[in-house]
Amino acid sequence: MSEPTQCVLIVPCSGIGKPFGTVSREAAYEVVEDLRPNQTHLVALSRLVMGDVEARTAVATCPAITLDGCKLACATKMVRECGGSVMRGFAVLDVYRRHRDLKPHGIARLNDGGLKLAHALATEVTAVVDSLVAPSCPAEIKGNSHV
Amino acid sequence: MMSIFIETTVDKFTFKVATDRAYTPEGLWVSATGNQVRVGLTDYLQQRSGDVAFVEVKPEGTAVAAGDELATLETIKVNTSLVSPVSGRVAQVNPALEDTPELINSDPYGEGWLAVISVADWAADQARLLTAEQYFKQMKQQAEEDTKKP
Repeated sequence: MSEPTQCVLIVPCSGIGKPFGTVSREAAYEVVEDLRPNQTHLVALSRLVMGDVEARTAVATCPAITLDGCKLACATKMVRECGGSVMRGFAVLDVYRRHRDLKPHGIARLNDGGLKLAHALATEVTAVVDSLVAPSCPAEIKGNSHV
Repeated sequence: MMSIFIETTVDKFTFKVATDRAYTPEGLWVSATGNQVRVGLTDYLQQRSGDVAFVEVKPEGTAVAAGDELATLETIKVNTSLVSPVSGRVAQVNPALEDTPELINSDPYGEGWLAVISVADWAADQARLLTAEQYFKQMKQQAEEDTKKP
């Protein structure tokens, strides 16, 4: 099995109680756990906010893709504040505008439309991950899919 | 011409009201030039509604009476029906909103306008609307009540 060509961090919105935030996290889980488990790592936004050293080091080391649930764009802002590189910032709302039939509802558990919207976002994120892959992944990040 | 605003900060939110136009209690602004009025959402209404996903305004040529549905708004929080503040005919729909409905959020009193309506009797319509000061007072009270809700 070939080594991952580069680690790409996926940083979703941490907004709890908002369907669009939940969509961002569902999409992030799908990318990191199912679609590109060897090339991506999830960083919890809350850990960046809390100043967690491991999370901040990861962000400073690897390129990031951010998934924001609203225009406040907390994930994108926080990664930049931590000195990270946002290679692509996704807004769930933009994806929803392209998939109007997939209206997300629910918070703890998304409706079918929300889950499908998350999958659509995950698919777009995966395409960006594939365009970013490069030679190596820092050793301290390897083997730990959630940071 | 640059608008002058009065504003208030409630909790962490700041809401602006342009002083050069009239308002509906529901949060639409109306700016008249001759027998045509331009209509849009107030800063308070757009912030309260959330990020706009889609807006659909009645097509040009549609006759509307004050209180009739003028547009529907879908945001990340709510689906809202916006009623016309005046009676007349839709003369122009903001073409920019088709591709960039977020203009309603980013520039509610400017580029984010909804429609221009040709009015039959502006004086009669205007008499039903609020002045900027009246709307500001009502909006401030409503915003403060919102912060008390759990």
